[in-house]
Amino acid sequence: MDAFLNSPVAEMLSDPVLYIGLGNGLLLTLEVAAISIVLSSLFGTVIGAMRYSGFPVISQVATTYIEVIRNLPQILLILVSYFVLGLPGKWAAVIGLTIYTTAIIAEVIRGGLNSVPVGQWEAARSQGFSFLQSMWYIVLPPAVVKMIPPIVSQFVTVIKDSSFAMVIGAGELMFKGQILAGKYWRPSQIITIYVIISLTYFAINFAISTVARRLQKKLSVGRGSIGN
Amino acid sequence: MKRSALLSLLLALVLAFGVFGLAGCAAEEPAEEPATEEPAGEEPAAELPAGVQEIADSGKLRVGVKADVPNFGLQDAATGEFEGMEIDLAYALAERMGLSRDDVVFEAVTAKTRGPLLDNGQLDVVIATFTIKPERLEQWNFTDPYYQDEVGLLVKKSAGIESLADLDGKVIGVAQGATSRDAVQVEADKLGIKVEFLEFATYPEINAALESGRVDAFSVDKSILSGYLTDDSVILPDGFSPQDYGVASKLGTDELRDFINEMLAEMQENGDMDELLAKWNLG
Amino acid sequence: MTELFERIGFLQQGPFSVPRWEALFANIDLLWQGALVTLLVASLGLALALALGTLFGVMSSSHWKIARGFSRAYVEFYQNTPLLIQVFMIFNALPILFTGMFIPVIAIGVLGVGMYHGAYIAEVVRAGIQSIGRGQLEAALSQGFGYIGAMRYIIIPQAMRVVLPPLTNQAVSLIKNTSVLAVIAGGDLMYAGDAFAGRFGHYGPTYIVVGLLYFVMCFPLARLARKLESRAKEA
Repeated sequence: MDAFLNSPVAEMLSDPVLYIGLGNGLLLTLEVAAISIVLSSLFGTVIGAMRYSGFPVISQVATTYIEVIRNLPQILLILVSYFVLGLPGKWAAVIGLTIYTTAIIAEVIRGGLNSVPVGQWEAARSQGFSFLQSMWYIVLPPAVVKMIPPIVSQFVTVIKDSSFAMVIGAGELMFKGQILAGKYWRPSQIITIYVIISLTYFAINFAISTVARRLQKKLSVGRGSIGN
Repeated sequence: MKRSALLSLLLALVLAFGVFGLAGCAAEEPAEEPATEEPAGEEPAAELPAGVQEIADSGKLRVGVKADVPNFGLQDAATGEFEGMEIDLAYALAERMGLSRDDVVFEAVTAKTRGPLLDNGQLDVVIATFTIKPERLEQWNFTDPYYQDEVGLLVKKSAGIESLADLDGKVIGVAQGATSRDAVQVEADKLGIKVEFLEFATYPEINAALESGRVDAFSVDKSILSGYLTDDSVILPDGFSPQDYGVASKLGTDELRDFINEMLAEMQENGDMDELLAKWNLG
Repeated sequence: MTELFERIGFLQQGPFSVPRWEALFANIDLLWQGALVTLLVASLGLALALALGTLFGVMSSSHWKIARGFSRAYVEFYQNTPLLIQVFMIFNALPILFTGMFIPVIAIGVLGVGMYHGAYIAEVVRAGIQSIGRGQLEAALSQGFGYIGAMRYIIIPQAMRVVLPPLTNQAVSLIKNTSVLAVIAGGDLMYAGDAFAGRFGHYGPTYIVVGLLYFVMCFPLARLARKLESRAKEA
C-alpha cells in the first residue's frame, strides 16, 4: 500500500490539476456534443421535411446532401470546418459534427415516418382527423418511439466522435488527456490517464444508453405492435 | 432514375462551388480592405498607419500563440491563462497600438493551424515560435526575427543515442506543418544516414509516442523540446538549421508588419528585448 | 480558359488557388498510396469485424448465461468508448505495458476498426437471429439438428437476409473509421492528405480530393445497402 501511495500514479491522482484539466475537457466534450445534437435535430428535421415535400428539386437537394455527407469521414468534416471554413476550435468541432449528424437524423426521421403503415394515415383521415391531428395523435407517437434508439445511439456516437476534435487542438477530453500526458509522462501515469478517459466516456455513454433503453421500454408497453 | 441522379450530382457540384466560393471570398476580403482604404482628410492625423488603426479600432488584438511551449507560450492547465515571452510581446504590441492588455485575445495554435487561421482572418498576428522561411514568405508576412533557435532532438536516455548519426534507420517524430522534418532530412542526407518520419498533429502526441517507444526521437525547435524534457530524456547536443522566429500576419498587411518591426527594433535598442529574454530564461 | 480563371480572384490566391491544385496533382501519388492503405485496412478490418460480430452475436443468443454476459460486456465496452482512444491504447499503452510490443500501425488499424465494428455487427447478428422465430429453432432441434447445426443450416441463412442491409451500412462506417489512422501516422488516405496539406497549407484542394475518394469508396456500398433494404422489405 505504501508503495502505491508514493508511486508516480498516486502523485498524479492527488494533483488537482489532473482533475481540473480532465474536467474542463469533459465539459467541453459534453458542450460540443449537446450543441451538435440540438442543431442536428433542427436541421435534420428540416432536411427530412424537405425530402417529403412535393417539390422534386427541394427533395433532390436534401437527398443529395444526405447521400454525399453520409459517405465522408467525421475527421474530414471537422478538419474542413476548421481549416477551410475557418471556424474557431470549439465551433469547428460543433459544425463538423453537426453536418454529419444532420444527415443521419434526417435518415432516421425518414425511417421513423416510413415505419408507420400508410393504413394508419388513411384510417385517421377517414375518421375525420385533420392533417395535423393525424400527425400528432396517430402517426408521430409510434414513429417517435421507433426513432428513439437510433437517435440516442447517434447522440452517443457524437460524444465519441467529438474526440476527433483532438486533431485541431480543441480542448476536449481527449486532447486535454494528451496535454496532461505531457506533464505526467511516466508510462504508468500515461496509461492511467488513458484508462480514466476510457472509463469516463464509457460511464457517460453507458448511462445515456441505459436510460434510453428504459425509456423506450416504458413507451412501447401497451402500444401493441404497430409496425414491427 | 439516371437523369435525376445526374441532375442531383450537378446540383451538388454547383452547391459545392458556391460554398467554396464563399469560403474563398471570406478568406479574400480582409486582404482587400487595407489596400482600398484611403486616408480620410477629415480624420485627425492618425498616429497609426491605416492597417494598424483598423485593428486598434476593432478594440481587440487577436493573437495566435502556443499553449504548450514553456517560456514562449504556455497555457496554465487549471486557469487557462497564457504566459511566456511571446505573450509579453503581444501585450507590448497591444499597448503600442493604444489598446490595453485586456484587449488582447489569445488563441492557442499549433504548427499546423497557425497559418490557416491567419489566412481566413481569424487572427491578426501569430507569435508562436513561427520560423521564417523563404517558402513561408510567399504565404504570410513576417517581421524581422525576434529570436533565434535551432532544431534539436529529444531522445530517451535509456536508448543510448548520442547524436543524429546514431539515429540511422530509426524513427523520428515530427509535427505536421513544422520545419523540423525538412531540417532533419537535410542533415541526415549530409551524414548519409537514413531516417523515417512519423508526423503527428500536436506535440503531446509526439511526446507520448516517444515515451512508448513508437518513435526513437522527437524533433522540433529546442525551445519547444525544453517543455517536454524529463528526468528520463535528454536533448542531444546536435542542433541544426537555425530557426529565426518572426511575428506573422496575413500576406499583404505590410503596414502592420512594418509597425511591429519598428517596435522590435526599439526593443532591441533600448534593452527591453534583453530584459524580456532574461525574464524567461532565454537568449 | 485560364484567363477566365485568372479573373476569378479567389482562384489565384486563398485556399483554393490554382497553384495549390497544381501542387496537389503533382503529388497525387501520395493520396493514391494512402487510398490503397485505407482499402487494405478496411477489407481486413471488415473480415475481422464480421468474424467477431458473428461469434459474439451467436454467443449473445445462447442459452448459457456466461456466454451472454461475456458478449454483453464486449458489446457494451466497444459501443460506449471512442474508437480513437482504443487505437491510442494499442498504439502507445501496449508498448509500455508489454515492453517493446510494437504492433505495426496497419495492424492497429485492422484491430481497432475490427473490434469496434465487431461489437456493432454482433448486435446486428443478434437482432437477426432473434427475428427468426423460436419455432424454427425448436423445429430444427426436433429434427435432430444439434444447437450448432440448427444455427448453421436453418437460422443463420435466414437471418442473413435480415442482417445484410445493416451489415452493409456498418461496412461503410468501417471504411470511414479507418481515417482514425490519421492520428497515429498510419499512412492511410486521411493521413496522407492531412500530412501533405499540413506541409504547405494546401488544405482546400486536398480535402476535396480526399473527400471525393472516400465518397467513391463508400457510395457503391451505401447504394447496395439501400437496395438490400428495399428487397428485405418486400420479402
